Amino acid sequence: MFATPDDDAVPPDTSATIPGGRSGTGRGRESLALLAERVRPTAASRTRLLPVDPALAALLPEGGLRRGATIVVATRGGAGGGISLSVALLAAASAGGSWCAAVGLPDLGAVALADLGIDLGRFALVHSPGPAWAEATATLFDGIEAVLLCPPFPPRPAMARRLVARARDRHTVLVVVPGRAGWPEPPDVHLAVDGARWDGIGQGTGHLRRRRLTVTATGRRSATRPRRHDLWLPSPAGTVDGVDGADR
Amino acid sequence: MDRLLVVRCPDLLDEDEDGDALRSFTGVVAAVEAYCPWVTVVRPGVCSLPVRGPARYFGGEQALVGLVHRAATGVDGAGATVGVGVADGLFAAVLAAGAGVVVPAGGTPGFLAPLPVAVLGDDDLADLLARLGVRTLGDFAGLPERHVLGRFGAHGVACHRVAGGRSGELDGLRQAGCGPRVEALRRGTPEPVRQSGFWGGMSDADARAARALDEVQRLLGPGAVATAHLQGGRAPGERTRLVTWGGAAVEAGDPGAPWPGRIPPPAPVLVHGRPRRAEVADAGGGAVAVSGRGLLSADPARLSVEGGPWQAVEAWAGPWPSDDRWWSRAHRRSARMQVVAADGTRLLLVERGRWWVEATYG
Repeated sequence: MFATPDDDAVPPDTSATIPGGRSGTGRGRESLALLAERVRPTAASRTRLLPVDPALAALLPEGGLRRGATIVVATRGGAGGGISLSVALLAAASAGGSWCAAVGLPDLGAVALADLGIDLGRFALVHSPGPAWAEATATLFDGIEAVLLCPPFPPRPAMARRLVARARDRHTVLVVVPGRAGWPEPPDVHLAVDGARWDGIGQGTGHLRRRRLTVTATGRRSATRPRRHDLWLPSPAGTVDGVDGADR
Repeated sequence: MDRLLVVRCPDLLDEDEDGDALRSFTGVVAAVEAYCPWVTVVRPGVCSLPVRGPARYFGGEQALVGLVHRAATGVDGAGATVGVGVADGLFAAVLAAGAGVVVPAGGTPGFLAPLPVAVLGDDDLADLLARLGVRTLGDFAGLPERHVLGRFGAHGVACHRVAGGRSGELDGLRQAGCGPRVEALRRGTPEPVRQSGFWGGMSDADARAARALDEVQRLLGPGAVATAHLQGGRAPGERTRLVTWGGAAVEAGDPGAPWPGRIPPPAPVLVHGRPRRAEVADAGGGAVAVSGRGLLSADPARLSVEGGPWQAVEAWAGPWPSDDRWWSRAHRRSARMQVVAADGTRLLLVERGRWWVEATYG
């Protein structure tokens, strides 16, 4: 299976750098570029970004998950949607063959995960890590490309800082769902679900069909100005979808 | 708690820039493995092995300690001060190795009791305890656990259990990732970089993930890591089962996420292994029930989960009578309902007049 690279991840015009490549013919360049893309598997590993669903790209300053970055997904007012959003962030990377793991989320429903695009065969579940949760999470960084963490106990600031530094060091994406425990360390990107509204359900009629989430993204450097986006999560098919003009 | 033999090389505890210390330690691990294949690298300079089997084979714990000590000291660069010790649990075993003693079975709490609280490696905690007049692990272990929890939190409780010899694992005792690095050094390969398994077989990424998951399982215990599998294809009504990492062992009883078929998609992202009690009331405060024919006794107006505050019901759908039988051995009549409240959207199950939160659209 070939990875489909996002635009950011494509090396700058590979065809022009191949010695002897006849850059004059447009078709030759095109097929070379195509070939370069196909033989990319080793190159893909070095790219800085893990892909995300296009509907989520606008929330992230670089349009993807930067390896080594920490992202906190919070829910304001308990409306829900934070867990779905945190899983959806990993879905494209998982579908592309990256190993992911979830720590401290014993109730994740596998059907919803699969519907979002998670490859369950490469998605490790560490349901109840107990007091050694931080150590277990740090251990995962050595071989897992993206880790979803819901700390079972309130993390001490020094511990959170160490985890963030270790994720950066090991080039692992750390997505934190603070839950009740909270997260004391400012992340690279902070996503907050401000609102959630269900479609399709009434007073004893219909059923839950899709949910519109309003998400505000803030960040440390490139994302200092808050950005708001609306998403369908889940869509009627259980996936994530952008809210386009017709829906507004 | 496992009875462990620990080899501790004080000269190799700190990694140097050119990696010589770790390479020497790799030699120590190889030498120790001659006596037992199950050697775990704890951190640079420290490794452990379960003592029961090898001790029986080599004629007792004391004899095994002597053999391992001789083997480890003979390794180039290991230094002359290699310590080998045996105790219950990793924490005590590391200290026993430092002292070069074999703590008899069951004697670990007594071995730990006179040691200063500073050996727990948490200066803040040690300071605080010293001010309270608690100076040894024995004094600390004597405090009631609920007081420790109230005063020092979950980390304090972890230290308290270790101090009393009831647990051998402490945050920071093991250095994550050290095992795979030693392993990579031993095979003479540089630490693997990810490559795709283009020609089939296990890719380096898979191997790296496998090593990390193995390590987590060594840390937390067997069965701590699992993957979920969908059974019976992608149709609604399927069930999921959890497979523990590294074993074909399929968890019976299925704490995972069974998913009833009568509820239309999308599926909820949280399926509670243990359903939570809920109460549903109508506008007048009376309990809402579902009749045998699947009709609500009144419109639901308020919802409370596990005795929590009442939340106004904003919308609901159902009830859908259920005829699936996964819920219990005996077939029972039950129904499900989706409820949107200010604090979340849930799937409720009602059975014999009792309401449960079965799943949450988190």
